[in-house]
Amino acid sequence: MTRPESPFVLETMTGPSTLEDIQGALDELWSAHSEVPEVVRMHMDLAAGEIGANIIEHSGEGEPVHLRMEVGVSADAVVTTFTDDGRPVPVDPASVSLPEDMAERGRGLAIAQSVLDELSYRRDSEGNHWTLLRRCSG
Amino acid sequence: MVEFTSRTMQSGVVVIRPEGRLNMVAAPSLRNELRTLVEGGSTRLVVDLAGTDFIDSSGLGALISGLKIARQAGGDLRIAAPTKQVTAVLELTNLDRVLHTYDSPDGAFDDAS
Repeated sequence: MTRPESPFVLETMTGPSTLEDIQGALDELWSAHSEVPEVVRMHMDLAAGEIGANIIEHSGEGEPVHLRMEVGVSADAVVTTFTDDGRPVPVDPASVSLPEDMAERGRGLAIAQSVLDELSYRRDSEGNHWTLLRRCSG
Repeated sequence: MVEFTSRTMQSGVVVIRPEGRLNMVAAPSLRNELRTLVEGGSTRLVVDLAGTDFIDSSGLGALISGLKIARQAGGDLRIAAPTKQVTAVLELTNLDRVLHTYDSPDGAFDDAS
């Protein structure tokens, strides 16, 4: 994986404005990288919003957690990483699937997974690490 | 923050129009609004999505919740004028098969009137 050039960083305690802040970081990235195709932007906006919502809701169980987000564009991909100091997330992103049609919850990770080329989750002593990668081609 | 405007058509169909981003922040108020409408006797609902430039899984959950309670009450919930992003998310989740989409809110219940 190529290392993204000059990533945009968001460092915050999660709260009511976090989803807006996440989108704000992405919007800054898009305005600096007009070469990124519209569909790639749309997919990353969606996936980052879903993972961000997941962190806000599950990592802190309603309490704020420290969240660091980095977004960057390399020659061939957009990469977003999230690190939070909340609880471990008992999920394997590789095995998520859409729930039944009439379900009101449980689509977030499946949506993120379906629009990304890579979605990975890792837990270590720092906390939870999510990496989201969307290639710029295809 | 999402705002809603709603209007009742002569047929009794209520059109509710969220503006902005329909995500985890805004979805609970849409869900409550739809429930309040059904409990108040308005069971034929159209969610006009022309002003919704972003929807995520929480927004979809609110629409599904409204669809279920409207149907339980003998009515239906339909969606109108989805933006490009909303259409893409509905297709990704196969909910385009469940949430019936119309070009304009005014025509969404024409078959039933």
